Amino acid sequence: MLRVGIDVGGTFTDLFAWDARADGSARVRTAKVLTTPADPAIGVMNALSAAGIAPAEIGTIIHGTTIGTNALIERKYPEPVMVTTAGFRDTLEIGRQRRRHLYDPYQVKSRPLISRRNRLTVSEKLGSDGTTVKPLDRDEARRVAEHIASLGTKNVAIAFINSYVDGRHEREMREIVLEAIPDARIALSSETRPKIRELGRFVTTAIRAALFPVVGDYLTRLEGLLAAAGSNAPLFIVKSNGGMMRSATAKERPEELIESGPAGGVAAGSFLSNLLDTKSMIITDVGGTSFEACLMENGRGLVIDEYELEWEMPLITPMLDIRSIGAGGGSIAWIDQGGSLRVGPQSAGADPGPACYGRGGTRPTVTDANLVLGRLNTTLSGKFQLDYEAAAAAIRTIAEPLGLSILDCAEGIIEIVCENMAGAIRMVSTDRGRDPRDQTLVAFGGAGGLHAYTVARAAGINRILIPPFAGVACAFGATTMEVRHDLEATLYAPVENLDPNALTHSFTKLEQECCHLLEKDGITPEQITLERSALMRYIGQSYEVATPVPGGNLDTAAVAEIAAAFHREHKREYGVSSESFPVAFVTLRVTGYGQITKPEAGDLAAALGQGDRNETPSVKERRRVYFSGQKYEVDVHDAARLNTGQRIHGPAIIEQPDSEVVLPPDAFAQIDQYGNIIITGEEGVR
Amino acid sequence: MTQRQRQIDPITFEVLRRSFEYTCERMSLVLQKASFSPIIYDMVDYSNAIFDPNVDLIGQTANCPVHIAAMHFSAHASIERFPIEELGPDDVIILNDPYNGGTHTPDVTMTMPIFYDGTLLGFAVSRAHWTDVGSGFDTHIAGEGLRLPPMMLYKEGKTNTDLINIIKNSSRTPQYVEGDIQAQLGALRAARDEFTRLADKYGADIVRQGMREVLDYTQQMTKEAISRIPDGVYEASDYVDSDGFTDDPVRLHVKLTVAGDRIGVDFTGSDPVAIGPINSPYANTASAAYYSLKFFLNPDAPPNAGMYRQVDLTIPENTWLNPRWPAPTLGCTTAASSKITAAIWMALSQAIPDRIVAPTCAECNWFVASSTDPATGELHVFTDLPAGGWGGTPTHDGMHVTMDPLGNCQNLPAEIAELLFPVRYNSYEMRTDSAGAGRYRGGAGVRLEVEFLGRGEIIWMECSRTREGSPGVNGGLHSARQRQLRKTRDGLLESIGGLADDGTWRPQMLGGIHFQPGESFVFESTGGGGWGDPLTRDPQLVAQDVRDDIVSKEQAYLLYGVVLTADLAVDQLATRARRAKARNES
Repeated sequence: MLRVGIDVGGTFTDLFAWDARADGSARVRTAKVLTTPADPAIGVMNALSAAGIAPAEIGTIIHGTTIGTNALIERKYPEPVMVTTAGFRDTLEIGRQRRRHLYDPYQVKSRPLISRRNRLTVSEKLGSDGTTVKPLDRDEARRVAEHIASLGTKNVAIAFINSYVDGRHEREMREIVLEAIPDARIALSSETRPKIRELGRFVTTAIRAALFPVVGDYLTRLEGLLAAAGSNAPLFIVKSNGGMMRSATAKERPEELIESGPAGGVAAGSFLSNLLDTKSMIITDVGGTSFEACLMENGRGLVIDEYELEWEMPLITPMLDIRSIGAGGGSIAWIDQGGSLRVGPQSAGADPGPACYGRGGTRPTVTDANLVLGRLNTTLSGKFQLDYEAAAAAIRTIAEPLGLSILDCAEGIIEIVCENMAGAIRMVSTDRGRDPRDQTLVAFGGAGGLHAYTVARAAGINRILIPPFAGVACAFGATTMEVRHDLEATLYAPVENLDPNALTHSFTKLEQECCHLLEKDGITPEQITLERSALMRYIGQSYEVATPVPGGNLDTAAVAEIAAAFHREHKREYGVSSESFPVAFVTLRVTGYGQITKPEAGDLAAALGQGDRNETPSVKERRRVYFSGQKYEVDVHDAARLNTGQRIHGPAIIEQPDSEVVLPPDAFAQIDQYGNIIITGEEGVR
Repeated sequence: MTQRQRQIDPITFEVLRRSFEYTCERMSLVLQKASFSPIIYDMVDYSNAIFDPNVDLIGQTANCPVHIAAMHFSAHASIERFPIEELGPDDVIILNDPYNGGTHTPDVTMTMPIFYDGTLLGFAVSRAHWTDVGSGFDTHIAGEGLRLPPMMLYKEGKTNTDLINIIKNSSRTPQYVEGDIQAQLGALRAARDEFTRLADKYGADIVRQGMREVLDYTQQMTKEAISRIPDGVYEASDYVDSDGFTDDPVRLHVKLTVAGDRIGVDFTGSDPVAIGPINSPYANTASAAYYSLKFFLNPDAPPNAGMYRQVDLTIPENTWLNPRWPAPTLGCTTAASSKITAAIWMALSQAIPDRIVAPTCAECNWFVASSTDPATGELHVFTDLPAGGWGGTPTHDGMHVTMDPLGNCQNLPAEIAELLFPVRYNSYEMRTDSAGAGRYRGGAGVRLEVEFLGRGEIIWMECSRTREGSPGVNGGLHSARQRQLRKTRDGLLESIGGLADDGTWRPQMLGGIHFQPGESFVFESTGGGGWGDPLTRDPQLVAQDVRDDIVSKEQAYLLYGVVLTADLAVDQLATRARRAKARNES
C-alpha cells in the first residue's frame, strides 16, 4: 500500500508516494500539477491521477494545506462573534499598542480578525488564583446569546480574562450560547490554549473560531471526493508543530494548521537527519517569492511558543520556528532613495514575473540576474524559452546608475539576496544561541540549489546537502511524519516553594489528555511516546525558555535538576544565566508522538537510492557561466545520471528535474549512496 | 539619485548597511529576552545603538525614537570622562545623570568600546528605562533619585560591586538591578560579536569606511527630502497643561526655516525653566526635534548622525527645553517630547498640508504605581503607559490606541499585572468619541481601570491634554480631553487631575495620590486629531464608526452632520440637509 504525501502550494500541488514493498520503479511515484485555488481538493485528486495512483492502492494520505493560513491572511471566513470579559472588548484590536514601522506617519494596523461590532462583552471575573471575583451575569449572558442568534452567526469564540487558571465561566457561557444556538461551533480560550497573557489566548481562540467552517468544510469535501473515488484510507493533515493529525481532529483544532505547508519540508529534513546521522541542520526552502529557514537539532525542528501571524497577532500554539523573508527568484532589485542597491522584499510574482519571462516585466529580478550570469538554463528546465535580452535590459536600468557592468550588477544582486537569506538563517540560529558554523544547510525548492552555496558562505556554513527530491520536499516529508500533539497548561510556581507532587500531577493529567488525543487519531497505547518540557523563566522576566523535564514521579532532586537545565538553556538562548536568580515554572507542556505504520528509514532510503550504475557520462552539455566577473566554460551534469561517490569540482552546474545546483569555482560536490548532492568548500573539508 | 562619495563597492556597502541594522536588532533581542524589569521586557522601553570610532551614531534600534540623539550625548559624555586611550576591550561605562549625558534618571545607559586587532572599531551603547532608581515627584533634580555621572561599571571585565550595591540601595526594586545590568551587558557583547564577524570578513578598514558611507547615505536621503519641502518659515506652538506644581500651561514655540536642503529648528519664544519635572535637557529636546522631523524626511533611512548634518538647532538656554541644574527633568522624555512633535507637525502642516498627518494624542501617560499586598503587607511597584490614538492622515483614519511617536512601548497585560501585583485590571478598552473628528478622523483613545487590592498609590504620573485634547489639521477637529479619575468603592468617579467636568482644575502631573483598598485609578486617554473638515467625511464611514461604537450617534450628527436611521443606516436626505445647515452656520 502507498503512503501518499500531498502538499498544496500557491502554484503547484506536489505529490510524493512510496511503497517499500513494491518492485522497482513502482516503489516511488511523484507528480506536480497546478493548484486549483477555487477548490484545492480538485488539485489533490488531479495529483493522484497524474501520479497514476488508483484509490485502492492508497494506504495512508498525509496532506499539507495552507487553506487556513490563506483564509486568515485574506480575511476570507465567515466572521465569528467573540465574547469577552467586560472591559476587554478591544484586546484583539489594541494588541500591545505598538506600531510596526517606527517612523511611518501613514501606517495602518492589520484589520482585526473580528470587527468591533462582533466583539461583545459580559460581566464576570475570576482572579488570577481562580477565585470568583464576580460571577457570570447570566441575564446579560442570555441577552448576548440572543443577540448572537439574531446575527445568524454559528461560530463563536469565548475568551475571558484569567481563564487560563480555570475555564468554568467560559464553559457556563458556552452552555448559555448553546441554549440559544444549539448548533453553534464554540471555541473556548481555556480549551484552545490555557496559557497566561490574554492577547495570545484571545487571538488563538479567534483563529480557531474563524477557521472552524473553512477547514471543516474543506476537509469534509476532500474526504467526500476520496470516498467517492473508492478510497477509505485514513487522511492525515500536516500540523504546524511538524507532526500530523487525523482530519477529524484537524477540524477541531484548525489553528494548528498555520504552517501546514512548510512543516512538510522540515519533516523531510528530519528524515535526512536521521538517515545520515547529521545532528544539526538548517532546512531552507527557496521559491519564487520567499525564503524559509528552520533549524533542526537532534532530528527535530526547533519550536517556538508564539508565532506572529501578523503584527501583534500572536498565535500561541507550539510551532516549528520557520522564518520566512521576501527573497526568491522573483525578488526585485532596486535602488533606494539613498542610492543603495536593494533586493526584495517585493517580488515580480508569477505575473508579470521576471523580465526574462517575456510577460511584460521590466524590473530586474534575481532570476534575471541568474540568467544573465549563465547560471540558469535558458529554457527554465524545459518549461519555456527565457529572454536573455530582456533580462540584460532590465538589469541595465540599475547597473548604469550604480556605475556597474551588467555582469557585476547581476552578481551583486545574487550576493545581496543571498546575504538577506543568510540573515534569516541568523534569526533561527545565532538569535537562538546556535552557531551556524556547526550546521549543514539543506536546500529545497526550485531556487534552492541556485543559491545554496552563496547563502551558506554568507552564513558561515561549510556543508550543504541537496537531496534528489528537493523539488517535492514538502510532499516527501509528509510521508515520513508521526502523529504529534503538544498540550499545555499554565502552572505559575516559583521553584523554591514548589510541591513536586503537584508538578507530577499536572504533567500526568496532561499526559492522559495527550494519550486520549493520540488514541482518537488511531494510535494504540504501545505506539505512543511522551515527552515533557516546561516553559520557565527567571522570576521577574516574562519570556520563557523551554526546558526538558524527565518522566515519572518528580521529587525535589528532579526539580533541582530541571532548574539546572533551565540555567543551561537560558545561557544558550540568550547568552547569559545566573544561578543566584530565583526561577519559576510558567507553562507545562507534554508532547506526544505516535506512529501507525512506521516507515522504515532503510526502506525509504532504498526506494530513493541509486539503481543500477549509470554508464552514460553525467555531463550533458557545456555552458558559459560567470563567477566573480570571470567567464568559465562549465560542465552541466544531469542529476539523473550521477553515480554514487561521483565527485564534481566547481565551477559546474547540476540540473535536477525542477531546479539547478550551481557550484562556484571553489565548491566541491560529492554524490552519496542516496543520490544526495553534498557540497563543501573544498575537497577534504568534512 | 545620490552622489554619495564611494570608496567601497555598492554590493559591500549594501551588505554592511544591512549588517549594521541587524547588529542593533540583535542587541535589542538579547536585551529584551534577558532583562528583568517589567518595563524593559514587557514594555520594550529601551534602545540600542552603535557608534563609529569618532563617536558618531551609525545605527539604532529603535524602540524609543526619543533616545535617537540622546544616546549620542551619552556616548560623548562617557568618552569625555574616560578618554579612549584609557579604555580597554572589557570596559563598560554606566551613566544616567540628566546633566551629564542623560535625559531623565530612569534611563540608564551603558557604553562599551569595541576593538579589533588592537584598533578601535566603534562603540556599543545600550539604554534602558529601569523600573526604579528612587525617583520622586520633586522640584529639584536631587529628588528624582540616584544620579550617576559616567562611571566604570566593568573595568577589564571586573564588576564594580560597590557601585552595584549603591544602585540597589537607591532603588525601590533592587531585585531587578543585577538582571537588567546583565541583560544590557549581553546586548553590548552581541554588538561586539557582530562587529568582529564583519571585520573578520571584510577587514576593519572596510567596516570603518562602511560606517562613514552609511552616514553619507542618511545625509543624502535627508537632503533630498528637505528639498521637497517648499522654502519658507513655518511656526507653531503647543503646551503642557501644567508643570504639576503651578496651574499654568507651559508653552513651547517652534520656528522651522526651510532653505534648500537645510532645515532650521528654533525654539526661541518658549517658556522659561519650569518648576515641576517637565524640563527637557538639551539632549532630549534635540532628540525630539530629530525624530519628529524624521517621520516626514527619511522614515526608512538608518537613524544616524548623517541626519544631524542637515538640521540646525537653536534651543535657547534657561528655557524649559534647555534647562540647567537643578531643574527636575523626570517627565522630559514623555511630556516635553510629545509636545515638541505636535508643534513641529503643526508647523509642517503649513508647508506640506497634503502630506502632513494630524498630531497624535501627544502623550504616553506613563505612571508608576504601588500596591500593598493585603495579606503580607509587601509593597509592589509597577508601571504602565496607556496610549492614545494617532492623528488622521490625508488618505485614511489614524490608528487606535498606539504608543506615541516618542516610543514604541507595550502596555502591561492584565493577566500579568494580576498575577504579579495585588491589583485588578478591570478595563483596557477603546473610548467612544475620544478621537478628533475629520474627513479622516483620529484613532480612538483608551479607558484604563486599575483596582488596588491593598493600599495603593500613584507615585508618579506624567500627563497632559486634559484641557482640550489634541489639535486637528486642515480643518480637522480636536480630540477629547484626557481624564484622571478615582473610582470609589461605591462606584463614584471623582477627578484627581486636570480639568474636571465641573470646570475645576487640579495639576495633571500626579504624585503621591493615595487609594484605599478597593478603590480604582481610572484613566481615559484621548485619540488623535482629525484631518480635514468632518462635514466632508464619507457618511458610510461615519455609520460604520457608529456601528462599532467608535463614534456615538450624537457626535455623528453634531460633528459630522450625518443622520442615521434607527438601524444605523445613513439617512441620505437628512444628512444632506444637516450638512448644508452646518456649513452655513460655520
